[in-house]
Parts: sequence; structure tokens; C-alpha cells
Amino acid sequence: MNDSAPAVVLRGVTKKYGDFTAVDSVDLEVPRGSIYGFLGPNGAGKTTTIRMILDIVKPTRGSIAVLGADSALKVRNRIGYLPEEKGLYKKMKAWAIVSYFAQLKGIDAKESKRRAYELLEKYGLKDFADAKCETLSKGMGQKVQVLASIAHRPEFVILDEPFSGLDPANQQVLEGVIRDLRDQGSTVVFSTHVMSHAERMCDRILLVARAKKIFDGTIPEARALIPRQVRLSGPSRELLERLPGVARVEPVEEEGAVGRFELTMADDAHPQDLLRHCFRESIELASFEHHEPTLHEVFLHLVGEEAKVASFR
Amino acid sequence: MRNAYLVATREYAENARTKGFWVNLLMFPILLVASVKVPELLQDKAKPVRHFVLLDQSGEFEGAVQKGIDRAHNRKVAGALLKHAQVWSDPKKAPEAPDVDWTQLPADQMGNFDPSQDPLEQFEAMVGQGEIAEAFSDPAAIKAFESVLRASMKPDAPEFSAPRRDYERVELPEGVDPTAPVMEIAKGLKPYLSGGKMPGSDRGLFALVVIPPDAAQRLKRPTDGAMAAKNQQHGADGVQFWSSNLTDQEFREEVQSALDAEVRAREFERRGVDEKTVKEVQQTRIQFASFDPTKAEGDERVSIADTLRKWAPVGFVYLLFVAIFNTVVMLLNNTVEEKSNRIIEVLVSSATPGEIMMGKLMGIAGVGLTMLCAWVLSLLGVLMWFAGPSVQWAGPLLDVIRSSGLLPLFAFYFVGGYLIFAGIFLAVGSLCSTVKEAQNFVGSAIILLMVPLFTMVFVAQEPNGTLATVMSWIPIYTPFVMMNRAAADPPLFELWGTGILMAVTAIGMLWLSGKIFRIGILRTGQPPRLIELLKALRTPSKLQ
Repeated sequence: MNDSAPAVVLRGVTKKYGDFTAVDSVDLEVPRGSIYGFLGPNGAGKTTTIRMILDIVKPTRGSIAVLGADSALKVRNRIGYLPEEKGLYKKMKAWAIVSYFAQLKGIDAKESKRRAYELLEKYGLKDFADAKCETLSKGMGQKVQVLASIAHRPEFVILDEPFSGLDPANQQVLEGVIRDLRDQGSTVVFSTHVMSHAERMCDRILLVARAKKIFDGTIPEARALIPRQVRLSGPSRELLERLPGVARVEPVEEEGAVGRFELTMADDAHPQDLLRHCFRESIELASFEHHEPTLHEVFLHLVGEEAKVASFR
Repeated sequence: MRNAYLVATREYAENARTKGFWVNLLMFPILLVASVKVPELLQDKAKPVRHFVLLDQSGEFEGAVQKGIDRAHNRKVAGALLKHAQVWSDPKKAPEAPDVDWTQLPADQMGNFDPSQDPLEQFEAMVGQGEIAEAFSDPAAIKAFESVLRASMKPDAPEFSAPRRDYERVELPEGVDPTAPVMEIAKGLKPYLSGGKMPGSDRGLFALVVIPPDAAQRLKRPTDGAMAAKNQQHGADGVQFWSSNLTDQEFREEVQSALDAEVRAREFERRGVDEKTVKEVQQTRIQFASFDPTKAEGDERVSIADTLRKWAPVGFVYLLFVAIFNTVVMLLNNTVEEKSNRIIEVLVSSATPGEIMMGKLMGIAGVGLTMLCAWVLSLLGVLMWFAGPSVQWAGPLLDVIRSSGLLPLFAFYFVGGYLIFAGIFLAVGSLCSTVKEAQNFVGSAIILLMVPLFTMVFVAQEPNGTLATVMSWIPIYTPFVMMNRAAADPPLFELWGTGILMAVTAIGMLWLSGKIFRIGILRTGQPPRLIELLKALRTPSKLQ
């Protein structure tokens, strides 16, 4: 096994259920030590991809390597997994569940118990460590389950929709868990259809829609996919159109927005260069606003309005 | 293997911690004790000593009736002594030339026994003929019979205690005229007959017997013509028996037969027949004993222990059924639970389906075995506690369970039956996504599983008959039916043949259910149709 190999490599992976194609020839590399987001609307094929990575489901075509092995099952003790639908043994105590799953991953009984209490305490569940799972709230149960999937300190963690169903406070705790994992050197893949989590946390993302990969790369790379826009209050439309790197100028059609324009930059141009140019040329600007496009905007740009209607809530 | 062990211990711990498990465990001995103690209590409570009023207006029959009632009681005592002797009979004691001191018996009884033969067998025959009752009015005679019978009983047999009288005569209450017409007397006693307490007593009146002044004239003879019968319809009813209890006919029969015996004796006299001769003729009989050819030579006599040995397996079949059914339903529910809350996905990413299945099988088997061990131990414990004079079958039953090979066979058939049914239920559980779907299946499975319970009694009566033999060869019934037949020494070929077939079926079932389990546990939605399943078994990726 090659430890310098990427955590996950997918080559032309396709999964068909009868006539239905759930995943369509996806290529992917997840580098070690990164936080990788799988993004896409519901039904895009994220969960199927994850199940194939774990070798729970076999791909119809293509090859998958996980931690250098040709099947995740061969390295299962080095992997942690949180499935999309969450559930716990109702009658078991929180610490016992964490300990049980850690033991299944090869940790001995005593050590697993110690780690269970340690993790529960660290992430704010100390008082519930000895509570039966049926008495926990949904959010607490979900946190317990996340902890159960990482108590064996896996090199590679794969979390399917870890944020769904959590309140903002717990979402923040979970973000902390994921960052801690990365800091310990683990590779984390999580899927979500909420772009803001990915935006905040991911080193790289995979965008899928309708079974196909649309994009994978870093977040700046993703943002660079759509032309940047700048709003400014400036002299005249004619002058602005002559500035370097400006592709198009439109007046802002809002009330009281006389003299304000929206500039669409050329693909390779950056708003910073535009601002510098204006200083040098002593072009007076009353205001200058530039905002980075959100992943959401990138996504809409890539898949179009259709996906918005079809899938996003 | 480590993972299978982990899964097994978790399953065991989870199920052993449920309330149901402990209720099951504790209910059994409680029910066992109750099943013995409650009828005992009920017998005392339900049939208290019953009071009756006997009024003989003819003045001719009172003594005869009293004697008849005494005789009936004595017969009960004799019967109880016989039962006691049978329960504690020692099959090891030689029936021939027993070492008995016959001179203890009352002189008039000596002649009824052949000193060279087994006393128990002769006693049994005499009690069967109802001839011994006279002697049993004397407590000393009862003691004498008991010590004679001890010759064929086990040395540790407890002392016999005679049952109490069921019916006691009371006087007519003050204010009721004993010479009044029957209807009037009945009217006066009506409140007591229908439940009211008799004056100076804590209970009501069970029965009123009135013998009218002309009772001796009211006889029915086989020679009576149709005319006479017709005339009788118009007259009074002769002896009148008043009681509000219509279910207990015993006393009525005792009184009636006492009166019949009396009028018959008079008939003998009237017709010049010597009654003593008739009695002697009636007591003449042929020697008769039961033998069982399957038992060792010299040990063929049938005792109560033999009867118990025949029927004890029926109890074990019940235990087998309850234990297997309880455990496999647990297995089904656990599997469906894990599927419906998707824990199974985490499990599958941590252990192979084979390990998970093995773990579940072992864990739940452990639960079942714990339950069975607890039951068998409490059964033995309760029997040991009971073994004594009050529950006479407990001691022999204990011997039967301990001496015969029932327990090892029971363990073998539990494991075999468990594996077969666990295979079926596990496969089904893996295909169902909700408990509801699973329950539909359980309904039909119960019916299939119940068949050996329906046939249990027939199999016990005819353990090597066609029904038993045929059912033994159906692997899903082998454990129950062979357990049922265990005491009847089925042919060795069948014992081994069905055992091997059962083991092979269990292995095959586990192999098949392992394949289904692998496919099923990750499936969601409706259970597949059979045809889909068969296709999927050939190409497993189809269903995933």
C-alpha cells in the first residue's frame, strides 16, 4: 500500500440501476490531508458515489482506489464513515456506541472506552455520555454518531450530509470536529447541498449535478469560473468602457443610482488591477464595490437556472 | 472473527438487558410452581367438605346409604394408596417372591393375596374391582396395606396420608318436620340448598336426600312391562335428590348405587340366591399385567415413570418451540431495526456481511441458550423442591429427565432448529425495510412452525407411526418431531438419518441466507419479488 497515494482516486466511475444512471463517468482525486466537499442538489449522485468509494456498492464501470487499496474494505479500519440517514441503537448508551464502533475498527475495549468519554467531553456531550441513545435529541444523536465514526482516528473520513438536521450551534461544533480532523492529518470528504459550509471549510470541492461531474478543484478556482463584477460610481459610461479588462458596462437600474454602473470584467482580469489603474490615471471614483462570487452563484452559473428549480430548497 | 465476536456480544448484551428477556426467564419457574400449586389450592377451595341431609322416612335404608357413602370414601382412600404406591414403585425390585410380611394384613384379606406374587400388582387388581373397600374403614388396616406395599416401593418413599372425606352428614335443622311430605321439607331447606348458611354452620347445604316411606315398593325391574313403566311416570319420583349443584354428580351416584346395592341384596334374598356366592364369583379373576417389549429383560413392567418418560418429551417440544421462536423473532427484529435506521451501513463499512451475520447468529443463540438453561435449571430446581409426598410425580419426573438422554438431544435439536429457522428469518429480515413488512412474514411463518405442535399429541401416542416418521424427515420439523419421539427409541437409522439431514439443511440454509443477507441488508424499499431474488442470487450486483 502506498501511503503517499491520494486518499481517493476515481477513474471513469459509472453506476447504473437498470436504465437509470446514478453516477456517470466521474473522475476524481482527493489529495491527502485535505477537506473535500461533494456538492450538488439532492439526487445528483453524491451518496451513490460515497457508497461506491466505500465499496458498499460496486460501480458498474470504472475503478476506485482508496488509501492506495483497490477496495475500501481492505483498509476499512483506517476509514471512518457517517451514512446519510442517521440512526443509533436506541437502547445503547452514548459512550457504548462510540466505543462499539471503535472496537469494530480494531481498537481494544479499554482504549475505545477512554476515547469515547474523551470525545464526548471534548464536543460538549459529557453529561450525556451515560444516557441511552433513545433519550438524546436528534442533534445530539447525530453528534454521537459522528464521534462514533471517528473514534478510531481514521486517516480518511467520509461524512454523508453531516450538517443536515443540526442547529447552527451544533453545525459550528461539527465544523470544529472536521477542522480538528484535518489538523490531525486526516483526509475528510463530506457531502452537502448547503454551499456555505463548503465555502467556509473546503480546500477542494466536487460539484455534481444529474449524475455528472461539473467541476472539481479549489474554491478560488471555482470562483474564477464566473466573470467578476464591479459596481462603481464613476465619470461616464464611455470612459469606463475604455478601461483595460472591462468587458461590459451597464448602468445600475435602481432608484437613486444615478451615475452608478455595473462592470463585468473580462475572464482573466482582476478588479484589483482595475482599481490600481484608476488610481494611476487619477480617475475619480465616488464608490467601488467588488464582491467575490459565492459558490452558489458559481453553481447556478454552471448548471443554470434549471437546477435551481429542480433541486435547491 | 473478532468482529463477529464483537457483534455477538453486543447483540447478546442488548437482548439480555431487555425487560422481556427477564420476564421470560422468571415467568417460567413462576408458571411452573403455579401450575402445581394453584390446582392444589383450587382443589381445597373449590371442593370444600360438602354437607348433606339424609332423611329416611321409610326407616329401611338409612344404614345402607351411610354404608355406601363410607364405602365410596374407603374406595377413594384405597385408590389414593394405590396411586401413591405406583408413583413410588421401584422397578428394580423383583416382582417375583417378594419379601413381604403378609401376616400384617387383616385376616379376612389374607386370602385375597397370593404370597408368592408382587403385592402392588394384586392390590391394583383388587382396587380396580372395587373389592377392597371394606377393609379400608380401619386406619390400622390402611397402615397394614401400606407396609405390605412398601415391599415394591422405593426405600425413600414418603408415608401415605389418606385423603379427607368429601361429604359429611348433618342433621335436619330445627323447625323442619322430618315426617312432612317431601315437597314441604324441600321448601323448608331451599334457602340452605341455594347457598344460605345452615344454622350453626359456616356453609350451606350441598344436597338433601329424601327416601319416601314407600321407597321399598318403588323398584324397577328388567321384567317390568311397558305398562308398569307407564304407571311409574304418574307416581312420585321415589328417592329424591335435591341439589343446586348440577355439575358434581359424584355424591348422587354414591347414594344411588348404595341404594341399588341394598335393594339388590334384598332381591337375592327374595329369589333365594346366596349373596356371598355371588360376591365370590365376582371376585374371581385372571392374572393380568402390562409389559413393554422395548424395555430391558426383567424390567418390562410399566410404571408411572414409564408413562412420564413417554410424555416428558412433549414438554420439551413446547420449550423447544418457545425458545426457537422467541430467538428467531429477536433476530428478525434486530436485523430490520438495523436496516431501517441504517446502522447496517456503518456496520458493513466496518465488518463483512459474513461477520455481521455470524455475530448476530451467535449473539442471539447465546440469548436463547441462556433462556433455555435458565428454564431447564429452574425446572429441575422446582421438581427437586416438589419431589415429595405432595406432588407425587415430581420425583419420578426428575429421575426421567436425569437418567434418559433427553437433555443432550434437546440441546442438539435446539441448535439444529435454531440454525434452520434463524437462516430463514435472517434472510427475510435483511430483505424487509420496516417492521411491518417483517410482521406479515412472521404471521405465515408461525403457522408453519405450529404444525409440530398440532401433531404433538398424536406423535406422542404413536411415536414410531407413519405421521411421526414422515414428519421427522421434513428438516424444518425434524427438531420438534424427533424430540417428541425421543423417549420411544426411534430406529437408530432414523435418529441418525434425520439428524444428518437436519444438520445439512441448517448448513445449506445458512449458506443461502448468507447470500441473501449480503444482497438484502443494503437494499431499500419494497422487498424484492421471488423471481428478482433468484436472479440476484446468480448475479449479486443486480440488486445493489
